[in-house]
Amino acid sequence: MIFKKAIPRRTFLKGAGAAVALPLLDGMIPALATAADTVTKPVLRIGFVMVPNGIIMEKWTPATEGAGFEMTPILEPLAPFRDRLLVLTGLDSKQANAWPGEGGAYHTRASAAYLTGVHPKASDGRDMGAGISVDQIAAQELGKHAQLASLELALDPKQASGYCEGGFACAYLGTICWRTATTPLPMEDSPRVVFERLFGDSDTTDRSARLALVQENRSILDSIIQEVNSFRATLGPKDRAKFVEYLEAVRDIERRIQLAEEQASRELPTLERPAGSHPASYEEYAKLMFDLAVLAYQTDLTRVITFALAFERSSRAYREIGVPDSHHPLSHHRNDPTSIEKLVRLNTFHLKLFAYYVEKLRSTPDGDGSLLDHVMIHYGSGMSDGNLHMNENLPMLLVGGATGKLKGGRHVRFPVGTPTTNLYLTLLDIVGTPMEKLGDSNGKADLLSIA
Amino acid sequence: MSRRRMSNWAVAMLVALVPLQAANPQQSPSPVASPAAQYRQILSRYCVTCHNERLKTAELMLDKANLENVSAGAEVWEKVITKLRGNAMPPPGAPRPDQSFYESFPAYLETEIDRAAFARLNPGRPTAHRLNRAEYANAIHELLNLEIDAESLLPTDDTGYGFDNNGDVLSVSPTLLERYLSAARKISRMAIGDPALRASMEKYEVPYELKQDGRMSEALPLGSRGGAVIRHYFPADGEYVLRIRLSRTGDRANGDGGRIRGVNLRRHLDVRLDGARVQLFPVGGERFGKSTQAGAFGIGGLFQADPKQLEYETYGADAGLEVRFAATTGPHRVGISFLVEDRSEPEGVNTGTGGGSREPGVDSVVIRGPFDAKGLGESPSRRRIFVCYPSAGGESGSLVKRAALKTGDDEETCARKILSALARRAYRRPVTEQDVARLLGIYKQARSGGGFEEGIRVALQRILVGPKFLFRVEEDPSNLPAGSVYRISDVELASRLSFFLWSTIPDEELLSLAERGKLKDPVVLQQQVRRMLRDSRSAAFISNFFGQWLQLRRITELSPDVEEFPNFDENLRQAFQRETELFLESMVREDHPLKELLDADYTFVNERLAQHYGIPDVYGSSFRRVTVTDVNRRGLLGHGSILSLTSYPLRTSVVLRGVWLLTNILATPPPAPPANVPNLKERGEDGGIVSVRQQMEIHRKNPVCASCHLRMDPLGFALENFDAIGKWRNTEGSENTPIDSSGTLPDGTRIQGPGDLRKVLLAKSNQFATAVAERLFTYALGRGAEYYDQPFVRKIRRQAAPDYRWSSLILAVVKSEPFQMRRTLEP
Repeated sequence: MIFKKAIPRRTFLKGAGAAVALPLLDGMIPALATAADTVTKPVLRIGFVMVPNGIIMEKWTPATEGAGFEMTPILEPLAPFRDRLLVLTGLDSKQANAWPGEGGAYHTRASAAYLTGVHPKASDGRDMGAGISVDQIAAQELGKHAQLASLELALDPKQASGYCEGGFACAYLGTICWRTATTPLPMEDSPRVVFERLFGDSDTTDRSARLALVQENRSILDSIIQEVNSFRATLGPKDRAKFVEYLEAVRDIERRIQLAEEQASRELPTLERPAGSHPASYEEYAKLMFDLAVLAYQTDLTRVITFALAFERSSRAYREIGVPDSHHPLSHHRNDPTSIEKLVRLNTFHLKLFAYYVEKLRSTPDGDGSLLDHVMIHYGSGMSDGNLHMNENLPMLLVGGATGKLKGGRHVRFPVGTPTTNLYLTLLDIVGTPMEKLGDSNGKADLLSIA
Repeated sequence: MSRRRMSNWAVAMLVALVPLQAANPQQSPSPVASPAAQYRQILSRYCVTCHNERLKTAELMLDKANLENVSAGAEVWEKVITKLRGNAMPPPGAPRPDQSFYESFPAYLETEIDRAAFARLNPGRPTAHRLNRAEYANAIHELLNLEIDAESLLPTDDTGYGFDNNGDVLSVSPTLLERYLSAARKISRMAIGDPALRASMEKYEVPYELKQDGRMSEALPLGSRGGAVIRHYFPADGEYVLRIRLSRTGDRANGDGGRIRGVNLRRHLDVRLDGARVQLFPVGGERFGKSTQAGAFGIGGLFQADPKQLEYETYGADAGLEVRFAATTGPHRVGISFLVEDRSEPEGVNTGTGGGSREPGVDSVVIRGPFDAKGLGESPSRRRIFVCYPSAGGESGSLVKRAALKTGDDEETCARKILSALARRAYRRPVTEQDVARLLGIYKQARSGGGFEEGIRVALQRILVGPKFLFRVEEDPSNLPAGSVYRISDVELASRLSFFLWSTIPDEELLSLAERGKLKDPVVLQQQVRRMLRDSRSAAFISNFFGQWLQLRRITELSPDVEEFPNFDENLRQAFQRETELFLESMVREDHPLKELLDADYTFVNERLAQHYGIPDVYGSSFRRVTVTDVNRRGLLGHGSILSLTSYPLRTSVVLRGVWLLTNILATPPPAPPANVPNLKERGEDGGIVSVRQQMEIHRKNPVCASCHLRMDPLGFALENFDAIGKWRNTEGSENTPIDSSGTLPDGTRIQGPGDLRKVLLAKSNQFATAVAERLFTYALGRGAEYYDQPFVRKIRRQAAPDYRWSSLILAVVKSEPFQMRRTLEP
């Protein structure tokens, strides 16, 4: 018998308080904040957090608009951050609706359209396609200044078996990030692997070790490019496309390597790489990943993080809050009050975990303020009423100061029929990577004028 | 495409001739019309009302479809064949043609299509195919004689057409390539040994829900209880420290909480390395004062216990379970178990609910090292890699002590030998001078900084991350015209074979036969296929093919509700998995006919599973073959694995089971459900409890639901006596409603219970065999079976008929045109 190796979160990573593996973490952070960067302008980061299967809207949507809105039961955990919070109502993801003749792949469409505003191609795998997602557009620009263009995290493993919603490959449900219209990005669910992506492959974050690694990788990658170019011409178009994808991946890593060399002067907190897989409870697991996300922003290893707290159609049970039912079937509540009450508890639980993240951002110093001052995090779901698979009037919100560009403390209601992509265009403007069109956008959402 | 328009007169003549159910007896007989015309008539009467160009029902338009030149419209006709062979159309409720039509028309279509297909072959073109995670790990093992934990190194792969070896969906993103780079580095270091090795730590956890009541493994001593067997890779000769933590009574999710289980009992913990004892620890049973309440660790317990005793019971008793021992480089087996003290206690299965065992258990083991490393010994992987060793120099680093055989080569000659050998196996073909030159370039660069072994290591890393290792590419010969069909080379065929049957690269025997052009010989090919099926590496085929086809991988995700099913534990989950694994292995290795998947009179159980199934007189934790005397339990449909993975955490699902059967056994998957299907109501209008059957009455009453559910539900109901974890039951629910496992199939047959269900499924053995042939085809080629592949699928089925033994099915796939040939690009 072989058992999985694991290290409990306790000994792996802890933001505050003693931890065996990280004697220097807390001590290094002030040095990090002041030493390396002489940039005085605070860096704006963007993030997206997604929850699936809809939200009970009657307990989410505040009754009034504008600044005087009252916190609803589900939003209650975010009460301490009210002044940094924008509740957004009335946005649609119409591209997630079924086209005539399309069957019941509701969650697949919701997942693919969520950050892209594009209706996915009905494909069992041969020719998947959606559109580029908003986080990846931001990453194209913001990624130039950070070692990682973006980071994709998830708490659900990618679906192991091929049994997914009819007509669509499982791969659509396993991610919400699309680097290009045909390249879905995997979302990492292993904390150890995330750690390695952030802090490299060596057992330690020591600088000379990192540099040696960097040079070794570079010569290997150059050799690969040469090899692929030597046989590419003889291949058919589909095969060639595979290798083009491969080469692009190689070049992407080379770019990172170059950045890493340039940023070699940057000191990183000394951490030991953990061997672990997943913590036992969902709450611990979520908090661990949130900790890693904060660390990634804090060390400026990336400026774009997308996090799926669960994938669309997630069947996770949340026993720890007294909801032993599988999430997806439960979300088809058919107006049964017991089911609805359980779902409200579930939705609130997710927000409680999100509030943990927001609090960590608030309490992490960054430049002359906190991380929360300098981020813009979007939280939402690809469905509003999960029971009816509604893709209109989605539950969404923004937290963070966005370096002064977001005025919080308001409930903004958009005109009926406003696509989510209009909001995304506004976010891209704020973050400094403007676009004229994204997916099904027909303008830009106005975040400022409603008082 | 020409169209035939029938005049009313001719139609009327045909009505008289063809034995239709509503023939008009007043027409006079006429000369025999062509089959095409006859079938056109039937289609017009029964199908075209929905499937026409105006309505476009299900995107199928039959009013203009060509019956004279069937093969030209093969794409459409293949859909018709599937539906008719599955008896699925017209939908229940609509008038149906005579039953003979369901055999004669598909046969007519198939004959036409197949004739054209074999006259003008289209074997397809699989796309360049990236190795998936399992194939990567197996290839590493085959190449370097090294076992790796692929799940921790690489992410899960995407699936397409139901399998994760589908060339089209296996893509390469930057993240994945990083993981490959990182994996290649780790693997090359492990394989060669790392001269800069520092002590590291690995932790192994025993699942909390796994009951440690009996002997846990064949590899543990007889007369032992509990514990675990760990396969650990020791990276160097030296000393290692092993530390054991015992199970607590508290839930691990809440941290350390709780008292050490069984701490009041005096026991002995045995630690062995490869079966030889390293240490025997006395543990438990010591007294420093008043004890905490057994099992209760609340505030009351705290105040009642003596502080020293409390400390002993929560931390002290396993604080000293640490031992230092010497080990050599390579993989070794560490066994940890408790000796059974009291022979009067009955051994084995404790299926008690709630408190569970009161005996101590092992929670986790940490292995640290190496300390005082004596050097990197000759591990199995080093022996594989270093086919030669330079006589002078070649050593670097402080930890190197080489027992390697020095063969008198100079460094570069030896490097060339080593890298050529590795590249040949890794790329699955004879190496070119270009390949070797490239690798030597990397070697030289790394050697200049780090020495001979470092040079080899980096070159190995380069092999493992390069395109010729990670991808299976088949190159068309350059001299062939566009759109032509050719036989793939022996070397390419060898790869297809080994990835099909072993999920890995070809071994030396297969590769060298291919290099010498011997695989072309059908006798040799058949011999190799049989050899490969007998070889233990075919376990990969069984695990990967069946695991995905039958969705067995979902067993690890099962989470039956703890209150509803308190008896479900990790032991049972593992038993479910093992039973089905052993059963499928026996099916393939012993070459049973296909129908025995459903009808076998044997299975494999251990004591735990036997108790679950109600099979008497089975003792002990090891699995053994037993005869299944209970007629309801026969075959796969009696396995806990299948029955659980087709259920929800809280209850069974007639629909899930029906869909599983339709999809996997009958290859007629139902379409997706419509929007807004609500949850089942558990209480009726009068507030009384409503049985699942009554709740599903709406499936029958509502015509929109009925079209699909009349096919699925009766199949699922037949299995209702098996609860959501596969246990037989005669009643359900708090009011002990008797289970009603009866149902009516769309054709009117009444069935009740698993026996009748099996009879119905076995009567459709041709359909089942076609389903299996298509799945095997998809898995073997790494691409979905398109409409133009159906003639080949049919041929595979025919060649394996009537028994459909696994060796016949597999051989038929290997001999098929798509497996042996390839089409060049169209102009």
